[in-house]
Amino acid sequence: MSLVRPPGPGKGEGEAGGRRGRGAEGLLLDIGPCLRLFGGLERLAGAVAADLEAQGLAAGLAVAPTPQGAFWLAGTGRPPPCPDLPALRASLDALPVAALDLSAAVAAQLESFGTRRLADLRRLPRAALGRRIGAATLARVARAYGELPDPRPDFPFPPRFEAGLDLPAPTDQAAALVFAGRRLIAALAGWLGAGQAGVAQCLLHLVHRGRPATALLLRFASATRDPARLERVLRERLERLPLPAAVEGLLLAADRVVGLPGRSGGLFAGGGMDGEAMAALVERLRARLGDARIHGLAVAAEHRPECATRRPAEGVAPPSSPPAAISRPFWLLARPRALAEVGGRPWYRGPLHLLAGPERIESGWWDGGEEGTDGPAAGDLRRDYFVARTADARWAWVFRELRSPGGWFLHGWFA
Amino acid sequence: MNPQLSAFLDRRPDVWRGDRFAGAPLPAVASGHAVLDRELPGGGWPRGALTEILMDGQGLGEMTLLLPALVRLREEGGWTLLVAPPHPLHAPAWAAAGVDLARLVVVSPAPGGDALWALEQALASGAPAAVVAWSATADARAVRRLQVAAAAGRGLAFLFRPARAAAEASAAPLRLLLAAGEAGDLAVDILKRRGPPPAAPLCLALPRPVRRHAHGQPLAGAALRGPAATRPLRPAATRPVHPVA
Repeated sequence: MSLVRPPGPGKGEGEAGGRRGRGAEGLLLDIGPCLRLFGGLERLAGAVAADLEAQGLAAGLAVAPTPQGAFWLAGTGRPPPCPDLPALRASLDALPVAALDLSAAVAAQLESFGTRRLADLRRLPRAALGRRIGAATLARVARAYGELPDPRPDFPFPPRFEAGLDLPAPTDQAAALVFAGRRLIAALAGWLGAGQAGVAQCLLHLVHRGRPATALLLRFASATRDPARLERVLRERLERLPLPAAVEGLLLAADRVVGLPGRSGGLFAGGGMDGEAMAALVERLRARLGDARIHGLAVAAEHRPECATRRPAEGVAPPSSPPAAISRPFWLLARPRALAEVGGRPWYRGPLHLLAGPERIESGWWDGGEEGTDGPAAGDLRRDYFVARTADARWAWVFRELRSPGGWFLHGWFA
Repeated sequence: MNPQLSAFLDRRPDVWRGDRFAGAPLPAVASGHAVLDRELPGGGWPRGALTEILMDGQGLGEMTLLLPALVRLREEGGWTLLVAPPHPLHAPAWAAAGVDLARLVVVSPAPGGDALWALEQALASGAPAAVVAWSATADARAVRRLQVAAAAGRGLAFLFRPARAAAEASAAPLRLLLAAGEAGDLAVDILKRRGPPPAAPLCLALPRPVRRHAHGQPLAGAALRGPAATRPLRPAATRPVHPVA
């Protein structure tokens, strides 16, 4: 058993190593069955200590065969681990009676007849002692020494994550805020990991003095609980965020979690993990290039070539409509390029040979003159499209404009 | 060579012989063109290595050349990433060719910007099953960096460069020069591969938008006259396509 016992609120540094007051909070970990999984007691204790450090918690830590014994021992700081009951009893014997959290009157009474350590207490007659300090306390002592069973209820994780911290000094430096935010992210990742869940977004409040907090919504390309990804997005967003005032504290909240069970990777192939890796890559590219420069591809049900391509956010393309069987070019020029006409034929670095067509594509009056998402809408069309081969044997898609003033245009390449 | 020695060496894939293809450390992805596969070490596009494709302009059938491999990746559920394509993509053509659009990501950095950086990130991450990139500015040093990044992953990596780069040394283990061949074919000249020096350029008959026998007979007459005389081959104009529920 291991016990982690942060000092209660308001306890100062002066008490370090001494007794903690009443109401000190603790966390009991049943580590007996999982020691081998974590590579032994030393490594597990080291990992717990490192996690505490990452979260900025000062805590005592003790390892003992009984939960109550570990709890009391942790109140003394970080004593050496007790691997078995005799070692635990020896350690407990040396504890001051004050570790029992007795009322001041009882403590004074015990002190008055020379009972300073638990060893002294245990030498007193049971029945008389029970009348003085209460049967409950006596039972706790017996549980600590492993003489009574000590079942404990499981710890339920809160259904909603919310954690905050106060900055040691107000700051508007992104780097300092990211550093502080790392603690919250570590806590969030732990909370998500315990629930086998991930978040696609979470909300960070930046608390200012005397004005409403700035809310910063962090979105992820896919649900995740990877602290590195969470932190990368946090840093990217904080660096671009204009702050109205210095920040005094941070509050991180997440309530919309989605199930994210662990997956087993394939033995030979990369397994199903490349979706996660791909999302991380997309996030990294977006951080530097900007959101608009990375997109997915989807087919829109539209007969006009300009309108047949949509750019959804990557990876969320809905099932496309069945593609047409007619030939369409892979590349569609951003704007049709006007071609010269020589001797009645379109000309692109030489005469174009028209191989198939015409394919009439027309109408589209419904969005004429409106502004679309990618500039002016295509509007009404009236074109005859041809598959053409250039003089240097390249395959092009050209059209002849049927509305005045007419003319030939290059619109795509059959790459 | 002594037949006994030859037989012995045949049993040792870790010994490379100058007249054979080097054994590829990762299984190659068949290109889907039997003529080409015969000439590629491992019988296809190499995984975990940069493949340079040199050509000028577009429209020779360069994507049609790569498509069978990209479609094969769809069966494996892998992602395809396009970096700095020369023109916007026309989604219906890609969907019709069998590419899984839901697993296609297009990166279009600002001109002259971070295309090589993005490409290196993508290769080093190992996340996409195939990366296809275009760069006119990559030099020998950049290509070396990209090859190192590609070697860390196990995906396909294609880099399109201008044909003039054929004269430069390159760290890419496979280099192809594309040109227009006879009768609409694609001429593929293997400039460099792991194995014996390649012979004459290959001629690949790729599926093109028009059947082969039509190549020699350009449209003429009515189709080329003014709008008034136009009589489309299809009686009705292309109507809006409605999605099937």
